[in-house]
Amino acid sequence: MTETVLEVKNLQKNFGKFQALKDVTFNVNKGEVFGFIGPNGAGKSTTIRALLGILKSNGGSATIFGQDVWQDAVTIHERLAYVPGDIYLWPNLTGGQIIDLFLKLNGEKHSSKTDALIKEFALDANKKARTYSKGNRQKVALIAAFSTDADFYIFDEPTSGLDPLNERIFQNHVKELKNEGKSILLSSHILSEVEKMCDRIGIIREGKVIETGSLDELRHLTRTMITVKTNGALDSVAKLDGVHEFVVDTADQQKATFAVDSDKLAGVMTQIAALGVVSLQSAPPTLEDLFMHYYHEDSKEA
Amino acid sequence: MRRTSLLLKTYLRRDWFKFVVWALCIVGLAAVAAGKFNSLYETEAAMASIIATLKTPAMVSMFGPMTATAPYTVAVIYAMEMMVFMGFFMAMMNIYFAVKNTRGEEDSGVLELTRARAVSRNAPLTAVISQLVIINVVMGVLLTLGLEVSGMNGVTIEGSLLFGISLAIFGMMFGSFSLLIAQLTDNSRGATIGSYVLLGGLFVLRMITDVQNSDTTWWTIYGWIEKLNIYDQNDWFPVLLMLVLTVVVCTVTVMLNRTRDFGSGLLVLNHQQKSSSRLINGPFSLLLRLERMPLIIWTLGMFCLGASYGSIFGQVGDLLATNPMMAKILGSQGTDNANLAVVMSFAGMLSVVFAVVSTIPALQIIFKINRDERKGWLELIHANAVSRLKVYLSYLGLAVIISGICLFAAILGMYVSGSAAVDYDLDFSKFLRGFTAYFPAVLAVMGVGTFFVGLMPRLQNIVWFVPIYGFVSIYLGALLDFPKWAKQLTPYGWFSKVPTHAVPTEPLLLCLGITIVLGIIGFITYRNRDLTVN
Repeated sequence: MTETVLEVKNLQKNFGKFQALKDVTFNVNKGEVFGFIGPNGAGKSTTIRALLGILKSNGGSATIFGQDVWQDAVTIHERLAYVPGDIYLWPNLTGGQIIDLFLKLNGEKHSSKTDALIKEFALDANKKARTYSKGNRQKVALIAAFSTDADFYIFDEPTSGLDPLNERIFQNHVKELKNEGKSILLSSHILSEVEKMCDRIGIIREGKVIETGSLDELRHLTRTMITVKTNGALDSVAKLDGVHEFVVDTADQQKATFAVDSDKLAGVMTQIAALGVVSLQSAPPTLEDLFMHYYHEDSKEA
Repeated sequence: MRRTSLLLKTYLRRDWFKFVVWALCIVGLAAVAAGKFNSLYETEAAMASIIATLKTPAMVSMFGPMTATAPYTVAVIYAMEMMVFMGFFMAMMNIYFAVKNTRGEEDSGVLELTRARAVSRNAPLTAVISQLVIINVVMGVLLTLGLEVSGMNGVTIEGSLLFGISLAIFGMMFGSFSLLIAQLTDNSRGATIGSYVLLGGLFVLRMITDVQNSDTTWWTIYGWIEKLNIYDQNDWFPVLLMLVLTVVVCTVTVMLNRTRDFGSGLLVLNHQQKSSSRLINGPFSLLLRLERMPLIIWTLGMFCLGASYGSIFGQVGDLLATNPMMAKILGSQGTDNANLAVVMSFAGMLSVVFAVVSTIPALQIIFKINRDERKGWLELIHANAVSRLKVYLSYLGLAVIISGICLFAAILGMYVSGSAAVDYDLDFSKFLRGFTAYFPAVLAVMGVGTFFVGLMPRLQNIVWFVPIYGFVSIYLGALLDFPKWAKQLTPYGWFSKVPTHAVPTEPLLLCLGITIVLGIIGFITYRNRDLTVN
C-alpha cells in the first residue's frame, strides 16, 4: 500500500468570472517524483499556489500529509519546501542572509549542508540580492529549499534560469531526495528533464488534469512511430484499424512511415510480418510527442 | 502568530535606515521649531500679534483653529500650530511603510516565498502592524523628549507626553487605514494613491470645517489632532478615539487578510481591455497609457484641492468679521479692496503650496526612468530602434505636462470656487500669474531631478528634499520667522510677491535656465552611462 502525500480532488478556482482551475485531480505518493506539465496558462502555478494555501479554492479538496492545504497551511509548511519560477528577493539583503531567513522561517538553521550547497551551486552568498541574475536568485531559493529538511518538495519551473551544469546539480539533488524517500512535485517545461526524473506525470490543460500516470502508461495512450520496409506493397497496411499518418517513401514504394495506436500495435505487426519485413524501426513517443498530442487535441477543439 | 517576531526583526533590520531619515526629518522639524519659538515670541506684543494673526481664517485654514485662551504661553501656541502639520508628516511616513511592506512585498513576489514557509497567514501582516507600532512609539518618545529638552516656556511633562503620544497614534491610525486599503486594491500603486486620496480628502475637509464651524471638524477624523488643547487643558479624549479607531481598522484588516487570495484585492477591477492599443506607438504614448489613471486622479484631485481653498475665500477676506474696527474706517469700497488684497495674498501663498504638490507627480515620473530600468521594463524598449533621447524626453515630457496640468487645475479650481465665495469680482489673469511664476519654479526642480537621474541615479531620492524644504520654508517660514535667504533656498521662494505684483522676469529666466542646463547635463550623463547601474 503506497502512502499518499498529496491528494487533490476536483480542485476548482475562479478569478472573478474566469475559471482558472476547472477540475484538477491527482495524487503524489510517498517517495516519488511527480511531473506536472501543461502549456502556459493551463493552471500549473495556480494549482501550486492553491496547494500552498495562498489561494483559496472554490471547490474540491486538496490535502498534503492528510491535512487541508488552506486550514492547516502552517503545519504543512513545516514539512514542505517550495521554489517558484519567478523569484524576487529583498534587494538590500545578501543571498546568505535571505537563505538563513528562509530556513529560520521554517524553524531550521544554517547547517553544514547549507554551506555545501552554496559551494556546490557556486553562489556568492555575500552579495546583495539586487546584483543577482535570474539564475542566481533561483540558486538562492534552491539552496534554501534543499537545505530544508522537508518531506514534500514543490518546484515550479525551478531550472528556467540555470545553466546546464547547475541544472545537473539540481537533478542530482532531486534524485538524492527521492532515494531518501521524500516526495517531489516538479512542474517544468523542460520535458527531457521531466522524462528523465519523474516516476509519474500529470498533464494539465485549460484548468483540467486530463491525464495522469507513468510515462509508460501514458505512452500506451498514444501512438508508436513505425518505419518499415517490406517485400510486398504496403497499401493494405494503410487501411488497417489503428494506423494513422501513413506516408509512403517517395523513393521506395515498399517503405513507409506511420503511427500506430499503442493498443492496436500487436494486430498491425502481425499484418506487416505477413508481408515479409526487410527492416523495421519503432520509436516510442517521447514526452514531447505526448505533450504535442494533447496540445494539438487542444487546438483542434478550439 | 507563527514567526511574526522573526519577520518583524527582518523588516526592522531592512528598514532602519529609511526610518532614521524619516525620524530625523520629522523630529528635527519639531525640535528646531520648538527651539526657535521662545526667542520669536518672548515679548507680550509679539505674542499678541501672532495670536491675532493665527485667528484669521487664512491661518486657521493652514494650521487649524486658535482655540487657546489667555494667559497664553509659547508652548500652547507651538502645539496649536504644529499639530495639523506634524500629523500630516506622520501620516505620510506611516503610509510609506504600511504600503511598502504589505502590498509592495506581495507585488514583488517575495511574500510568496515567505508564505510558502511555515508562517501563519497573518504573520506578515501582524509583523508589519508591530513594525508600525514600534516606529510610532519611537517617534512618540523622540517627539516628547525633543519638546522636553527644548526649554520652551510653558512646557509641561503631561503636555509633551500628549504631543508625542497623540502624534504617534495619529500616525498609526493612518498607517492602519493604508493597511486596510492595501487589502482592497491589488497593487501597491493603487494602495498608495488610495491612501493619499483619503489623507488629502480628510485634510481638506478639516480645513473647510475649521474655517466655517470648527465643531464639525470632529467628524473629519483628521481634526481630532487639533482638539487636544496641549499644554493647556490636555484633553486625552481624542487620543482615545484615535486608538479605538486604529484597533478597529487593524482588526478588520486582519480579518480581511485571512480570507483573501494572495495577490488579489477585495475590490475586483476589470483588468481586461480589448482595444486602444492602436494609440500606443512609442515610449511617450506607452507612458501616457500607463500613467493615465494617476494623471486623471491628480488632475481631479488638484482641482478639488484648489476649489476647497477657494471656497473659504469668503471667510478669509472678511475684514468685517476679523477686524470690524478697520472695516469701519475703510468704508465699504475700501473694505472690498482690503478684502481683495487679503484674498490675493492668500492665493499667492496657496499657489506655492499647489506648485510644491504639482512637483510630486513630476518627480515621480522623472524618477521612473531609473525605476523602470531597474525592473527591466525598459530593456525591451531599448532593444528596439528607440534612442535614449526619445526615452528620456518621453518621461521628461510627460512630467512637464502632468505638473503643468496639476498646477493649472488647482489654480483654476481656486479661482472658480473663490469667485463664487466672494461678492466682488476676481481677476483671473492675476490668478494666472501664479501659474506663470510657479510653473517655471516646478520646472527648475524637475531640472534638478533630471540631473540626479543622469548623474547620481542611486541618490535621486535626495531631490525630494527640495519640495519638502520648499513647502516647510514657505508654510512655516512666516511662523518661524525664517530669514529671507532661508526662504529663497528653493525656486518656490523666488516669486513671493506674485500674484499681487506682476511676475518678475529675472527669477523666471533663472528657473528656465536651470531647467535647460540641468536637463541637458542630465541627458548627456544618462546617455553615456550604463543603464542598469542604479
